[in-house]
Amino acid sequence: MASAKAARLGEEVWKSRVDKVNAELVTLTYGTMVAQLCKDYESDYLEVNKQLDKMGYNIGLRLIEDYLAKSNTMKRCVNFKDTAEMISKVGFKIFLNITPTITSWTSDNKQFSLIFEENPLADFVELPDDGRAQDELWYSNMFCGVLRGALEMVQMQVEAHFISDVLRGNDTTEMRISLIRYIDDEMPVDDD
Amino acid sequence: MAAIPSIACLGVLGKNNNPLHISIFPSQPTNTPLRTPLQFSLLLSSTLDIFAARSTANVNSNGGLSGDFGLLHAIDERLACYGFETNTGVRFVAVVDVRGRLVTGERVYGGMGMREGEMKLVFKQMQRAYVRLLQNPFYEPDEHSPPGGKGGRKITSRKFGEEMRRIGENWMPGTIAA
Repeated sequence: MASAKAARLGEEVWKSRVDKVNAELVTLTYGTMVAQLCKDYESDYLEVNKQLDKMGYNIGLRLIEDYLAKSNTMKRCVNFKDTAEMISKVGFKIFLNITPTITSWTSDNKQFSLIFEENPLADFVELPDDGRAQDELWYSNMFCGVLRGALEMVQMQVEAHFISDVLRGNDTTEMRISLIRYIDDEMPVDDD
Repeated sequence: MAAIPSIACLGVLGKNNNPLHISIFPSQPTNTPLRTPLQFSLLLSSTLDIFAARSTANVNSNGGLSGDFGLLHAIDERLACYGFETNTGVRFVAVVDVRGRLVTGERVYGGMGMREGEMKLVFKQMQRAYVRLLQNPFYEPDEHSPPGGKGGRKITSRKFGEEMRRIGENWMPGTIAA
């Protein structure tokens, strides 16, 4: 079973090949950054979401290389379901030591949800009480960008966004990920 | 039926001697607070001088600050103030009503009053709640106790308020660490 294998791999990499860092340092660093973005953009939360996504994208582009090196996976995922397993059980596991639950597949196997039971980025956080942050800010939006960037580097164009967040008072933190297309190795236009 | 101590008010005071948070709890048998919010606020302010006097005395005698100031003063036959100060100058005050709660049943400690160190747990929990508040990136310590300045805004966090309420309502003499 691919799922169990992925879990084992994630566990092994987390134990043996990852440098650990204090969780509060990560939480506080990310928190300060989001808070500062909110200040810089004068509480234009939609813009803050966009910036977080962009930063995440830039992280993802680089992180994927590290992920591939650490997980030692040379073979491609056979389908998008496989990819989802690897994201949750290896990717999130080795970088954050969490394994979000994969659910809500669409029938064409191109869309799924990740449910974050725990989210190290959002520990201690309480969104500003200005009546808008609760409806507009996706605090952990960087994750979306990371996935988008990382998958793009391995020929998958995806769209990712949060649809609920416990910080907003929802019951779960859920991210929706949809595969748009596999990017073929495109030939330069003028090259016959 | 016996009356045992309960918490009548929890206060957090900033390093500018400004009130950061005040929670008031009802006392039995009438189930209403013993004093008005203004009176509680004045009571908390009155502890500031004692904090200052004690720290000076402590420093002069090389007493080694431990944070827990114990009993600050007894106001009347019912109310007494206990205090705790952190190294950053934030002070937690618990006003205890010595006969604030009525209990029945076997475990009746009526009339026993307060023992030494009884409030330690309350202050530990308050400090933990305060630390969690500080870790929220959207909380601005500087707005609440401007450096070198005067005053500062009160804490508006809902989580912190709820936590204070929980601490105040659940405390009973002899409670063991929760």
